[in-house]
Amino acid sequence: MPRYYFNLRHRPGPAGLAVDPEGEELPDLNAARERALNAARDTIANIRSDFVRDWFVCSFEIEDEDAQLVLMVPFSDTVPEVEDDEPVEPALHAVRS
Amino acid sequence: MLQHSTVRNRLLRRLSGDDFALLQPHLRPMPTKLRQILISPREPVTQLFFPEVGYVSVLAENGKYGIEVGMVGREGLVGAAPVLLGSDCATYHEFVQSAGEMLAIGIGPFCTAVRHSPTLRRLMLRYVQTKLIQTSQTACANAVYNMDLRLARWLLMCHDRLDGDEIPITHDLIALLLGVQRSGVTVAVRSLAGARLIRRQRGRITVLNREALITLAHSSYGVPEAEYARLIEET
Repeated sequence: MPRYYFNLRHRPGPAGLAVDPEGEELPDLNAARERALNAARDTIANIRSDFVRDWFVCSFEIEDEDAQLVLMVPFSDTVPEVEDDEPVEPALHAVRS
Repeated sequence: MLQHSTVRNRLLRRLSGDDFALLQPHLRPMPTKLRQILISPREPVTQLFFPEVGYVSVLAENGKYGIEVGMVGREGLVGAAPVLLGSDCATYHEFVQSAGEMLAIGIGPFCTAVRHSPTLRRLMLRYVQTKLIQTSQTACANAVYNMDLRLARWLLMCHDRLDGDEIPITHDLIALLLGVQRSGVTVAVRSLAGARLIRRQRGRITVLNREALITLAHSSYGVPEAEYARLIEET
């Protein structure tokens, strides 16, 4: 299985990337995207950090074993697009998956 | 033969010569490997382990998720609580997080020695009390503090139990022990490394500024450590 590295972009510039040194083996890029969305949901729901005050500005920059950027997954992708007057159910996103 | 003057475990060092002599013939040096399981839930505890080098994590598991609820190094005794408090089996996994060496002792000779010596029993029970405080502080830290503080506290607890400043650890294992996604660890490590409190390398984290880590960890770190000093080492 290929190994994907889930680097976390928290602000622009070289200092704004928290590097994932270990990565994770997953069947394909689709699985990596699902993994990133699950990790983002869990992080938004459960992790408080003074370093990153707003998770919704973050994204995963997923790299392959050759250090090539293969996919970006913004944390905001965890939230479905809604119309302004449509009620949002934040509790749905607080469930650990 | 094992000499009292050369043991490194802080509990054993605190024993009187007579109390050490009760345990000494039964202590068996045992090298440990990373992730070696010493105690398993729902199984009887047949041996206790005094860490000499390296330390042990106590892991509570609930299906898919686990979280560290205790740490035992040279200051302690693995298996102390269930044995001294009269339980017939363990509740949590206890596995080697940093390899090294333990002094193992069978439950039979340990319990006989504790029955014979009120001073030995008192010291061991005081250790159990400091371990209870450690677990309570962990619950508190998990509920109250943000990820940077929790990582700072956890690194300090590892640093206390190691020789030197290098903590051999993967982000994966930190995530498991702190009960968070690896991305939470990635960000917290980046935060502490950016402030030059630690240096990260593949498979290890080096403590660069212990004092600053203590300042950052704030009241999440230090309560069980102070009680240990007071109850075990100052009396």
